[in-house]
Amino acid sequence: MSHIAVVVEGTAAAPAGPSVVSLSGITKSFGPTLANAGIDLSVRAGDVIGLVGGNGAGKSTLMRILCGAMWPTLGAISFAGEEVPFAAYNTGEAQRRGIRMVHQELSLCANLSVAENFFLESPGDSASRPGWRALYRTRARAALDAVFPGNGIDADAEVGHLTIAERQMVEIARAAATPGVKLIVLDEPTSSLDLDRSKQLRAFVRGRAKAGLAFIFISHKLQEIIDIATEVVVLRNGRMAWQGHASDASIGKLVQLMGGDANPIHQHSVSAASSQDLLVRLSGALTSELGRDVDIVRGEIVGLAGLEGSGQKELLHAIFKPDRKQQATVARHAEAGFIAGDRQKEGVFPLWSVLSNISIGALARRSALGVVSERANSDTAKRAASKLRLDDTRFQSNITELSGGNQQKALVARALVADTPVILLDDPTRGVDIATKQDFYRLCNEVARGGRALIWHTTEDAELLACDRVLVFSGGHIVSELAGEAITEQAIVGASFAQPAVSQSNVASKRTAMAGLGRKLVNAAPFIGLAAVLAIMIAINPAVASTFGLDLLLMPALSLVLVTAAQMFIVGGSEIDLGVGAFAGLVSVLSATLLYDQPWLGTVALVAALAAYAGLGGVIQARRIPAIVVTLGASFIWVGIGYALQPTPGGASPDWLTTLFGWSIGFMPTSIIMIAAVALMVLAIDRLPLGVVLRGFGNNPAAMIRSGWSPTRYALVRYLIAGLFAGAAGLSLTAINTASDINSGNSFTLLSVAAVVMGGCSLIGGIISPVGAVAGAVTLSLIGALLGTLSVSSDYNAATQGLILIALLTLRSLTADSRSES
Amino acid sequence: MNAFASFGIWAQRNRWIWAAIGVLILWLVLSVVTNRFSLSSLSGVILSASFLTIVAIGQMFVVTTGRGNVDLSIASVITLSAFVALLTIKGQDANLAIGVIAAILLGLGVGALNSLLVVGLGIPAIIATLATGYVLATATLLSNKAIPGFAVSPALKELATGRISGVPIMAAIAILGVAATSFVLRYTVFGQLLSAVGQNRAAARLAGIRSGPVVASAFIISSVLASLDGLLLGAYIGGAFLEMGQPYLLQSIAAVVLGGTLIFGGSATALGTLFASILLILIVTTMQIIGLPPGAQDIVQGIVVIFVLALAGRQAMARRTPADLADGDKDPEATTKVPAAVQPR
Repeated sequence: MSHIAVVVEGTAAAPAGPSVVSLSGITKSFGPTLANAGIDLSVRAGDVIGLVGGNGAGKSTLMRILCGAMWPTLGAISFAGEEVPFAAYNTGEAQRRGIRMVHQELSLCANLSVAENFFLESPGDSASRPGWRALYRTRARAALDAVFPGNGIDADAEVGHLTIAERQMVEIARAAATPGVKLIVLDEPTSSLDLDRSKQLRAFVRGRAKAGLAFIFISHKLQEIIDIATEVVVLRNGRMAWQGHASDASIGKLVQLMGGDANPIHQHSVSAASSQDLLVRLSGALTSELGRDVDIVRGEIVGLAGLEGSGQKELLHAIFKPDRKQQATVARHAEAGFIAGDRQKEGVFPLWSVLSNISIGALARRSALGVVSERANSDTAKRAASKLRLDDTRFQSNITELSGGNQQKALVARALVADTPVILLDDPTRGVDIATKQDFYRLCNEVARGGRALIWHTTEDAELLACDRVLVFSGGHIVSELAGEAITEQAIVGASFAQPAVSQSNVASKRTAMAGLGRKLVNAAPFIGLAAVLAIMIAINPAVASTFGLDLLLMPALSLVLVTAAQMFIVGGSEIDLGVGAFAGLVSVLSATLLYDQPWLGTVALVAALAAYAGLGGVIQARRIPAIVVTLGASFIWVGIGYALQPTPGGASPDWLTTLFGWSIGFMPTSIIMIAAVALMVLAIDRLPLGVVLRGFGNNPAAMIRSGWSPTRYALVRYLIAGLFAGAAGLSLTAINTASDINSGNSFTLLSVAAVVMGGCSLIGGIISPVGAVAGAVTLSLIGALLGTLSVSSDYNAATQGLILIALLTLRSLTADSRSES
Repeated sequence: MNAFASFGIWAQRNRWIWAAIGVLILWLVLSVVTNRFSLSSLSGVILSASFLTIVAIGQMFVVTTGRGNVDLSIASVITLSAFVALLTIKGQDANLAIGVIAAILLGLGVGALNSLLVVGLGIPAIIATLATGYVLATATLLSNKAIPGFAVSPALKELATGRISGVPIMAAIAILGVAATSFVLRYTVFGQLLSAVGQNRAAARLAGIRSGPVVASAFIISSVLASLDGLLLGAYIGGAFLEMGQPYLLQSIAAVVLGGTLIFGGSATALGTLFASILLILIVTTMQIIGLPPGAQDIVQGIVVIFVLALAGRQAMARRTPADLADGDKDPEATTKVPAAVQPR
């Protein structure tokens, strides 16, 4: 492996400032492929380094290493001359040393406000003081205005409601405003910004660079790079291809430097694609820039090119499943197979042998009742494997034991045994070594000549030379079609950088508006339900409206409200507790037996129960096991302990406990005051920094960990809070019934889930709505009384509650917006 | 040493062996200690375990579809089915066919409802089946009031409690069911599709598998088996009572996990479920013999489930970690957190 690296210190003119960070000899291998090979990069205060390179040139790998998200195979990193061993270097350490990265895939918590997201990134100062939110609100506003004057973003707005461009602006401003920041890496920061915002950003970068802040600016928009950078670094195939002053660079030169391999991979003959057997037709908005339909016929290889995320993947999926979005723009006339490049996520079946992984391609197209013959599978697979030079002695090995290249061959073999006329390839050579790649290209050629059509999306522009035709994408549209000799890397890169003329249609926004109305109705459901239930009951029996009547009716609801509060915190972490009702029952038993007889022992037992409950959360998080099964198992433990202590209902409530729940101020029902107090308490916790962190974990745990928060600690805290509320529910049961029964809490488990869902909390986590959930809980607990008032048998209680839950979830799923589905 | 290593590899592929070893050890220990256990007492345990096995096989299908899917409605299905059997058969062998058809229809109906909610509407399986269970609970209460009496058809009674040359008929049925399930899982297209869907739903979709029907069939199989089990269980205990299905909820999940079926889906073993069912019943029997208080049995079962899961969770992590690292992530924990119960569609 030869180094083409350029050592910065040696070649650069008079250093503009002290070195902030330098990487030297960075090499990173993924199996046989080198994503980075011997790269040296030094960043000094005040530098703006423009980092460019084609798809797969190694930019993201290098930046991940710089930010501590990945360790290199070889190489060193040093800060201001002091070398730091990589073993001690991670994202947290990178942040402490003043490196911030603005990721292309956004790392904000969509369920939190702009100000709260600022808090997550730099929670340090005065976070626990009252008014902390105002502090971060001010900070967010100041930061946003400093970078993007006149942005009009409300610091209290929920990030999920912002446009992509606004989120990008928030993320940039958040990184720039971090105290102690020395280097900011901007990964494609302008990809979703319009020209004015992009200019503002560049002006800001220039200004801050003068003040000594360093930037690394990654962009495919070469004009911007030349405009903003003081220095340009060009990567190509994981190596440093060029480094120099921006004044020495031009767009033409950079494009040339970024170009891939000089020798074409494959010499194809255009005449081979002859058969007029139409397999796929692309038309409509997709090809409007081109001005004509695109027909794909048997025997050809069609490449999809363009900058990453310009619509190539979407097209592949649309061809695979044309009816998915009612896209009339794609018509497929024959079956299609799919070869995924992201092998771990959407390719291999990790529990299976190579053979099973191949033969599933044929099985998927057979009747489910058919019988599988290992021998027939093996014969078919062998035929496919022999074409691929895939060693069939390894058929019985687990697929994950194979190298990336051989795994990919197995996936191709899967598509071959499926025997579909159309084969879709989604970046199939990602992470595959060069020799296998050559095999792969040869094979694709054979397959195509055998009468199939291959539609090939690749992020390596050089591979497109193997295609008969290339469709170049930009902004979701096909902007250019290249064929035969016209396919050159220059032409592809040139067309990729063309800006699309057409903007996105706004059909989607109309749909979301409709769904928004539905959602509002669903969100109001608990309040409407509560009002309706109370109205009916008062109409039939006016005595209900008295203070005493309401108290009698609502006091039993208090326990459910408390359990609901507990469940809400668990659901906020995208889990469900099936033992919460049983836990409340256990606390009730403990308080009516041990606590009544021996207060000290009782207190110890209660604390121990609470600790066990919180520990459950820790176990679930640390072992990554399904919360439902663990909590279901735990519910048996709670009930078992309760039975052992008190086989039949009984016991007595300690006097102080009865008093605690039994006071009265006369004019206002005690139960209403206490229910409101619970709602306020949940609301208060939710508004504290702690609540913000918990909601952050519910929404985007990856981003939370990236910002340096400990998942295990907050899992423990989450379950501890839930345990406290469930425990209070248990105490209330004892106080209200003046006795205990281990089964008294059982029915609360489902009801609490139902109330939480009714209240508008998302089961996917991260959304807490205490008031709605409390209203839901009260409504549900009144169902029994309502049925009684209507003289319906209480047998229908459970069914009514179950049906309400099903109806609400159905409504919710029908009106769900894209955000909660993603 | 080498024999141990090769056994380890073999046991990795045949995870049922651990439950089988557990049964053997516990039975041997009990035989020695109490001097009471014999082959015939073991057959009594197996008879009780048969009822659990049948439900657990259904639960196993659902768990194998992955994404933390479990069927929480089976408890109510078992109870309701036992009541429906009393209502339709009325103790007459002549009505037996009607009773069986009613049980199957009940299972199909509940399974279809669960599938509609889970597959059609994308409601997390745990909540959908929990809600279905509550609706069924009301149906149980109503049928409890409607039943004419606790008469059980003699033929059904014979099926549920009888023995042929010492072997309980139910045990034979359960073992046949386990054999059939093993065949379906291993040698039919459906078994392969089920495993594929459970392992990696995105890959399954791109391989051309329509996961909807596969997941729906798992829920339907689970409900139908639970319903038939309720019919037989009712005959076994000679009637029906509210909450009679309740113990089978946790036990069925425990049997599935203990038997070696992966809780994350994609890999099932019917044989393991059979042995784990026997093991669980043996544990309960042991506790009864020792004379532990009633609550202790619940506690032990809960602890067994959590303990086995915590161990299995680590195994699954160890297996998946290399793949994550190959993908270029230093910290797989940062990216692989999947909400266990509540995956969106």
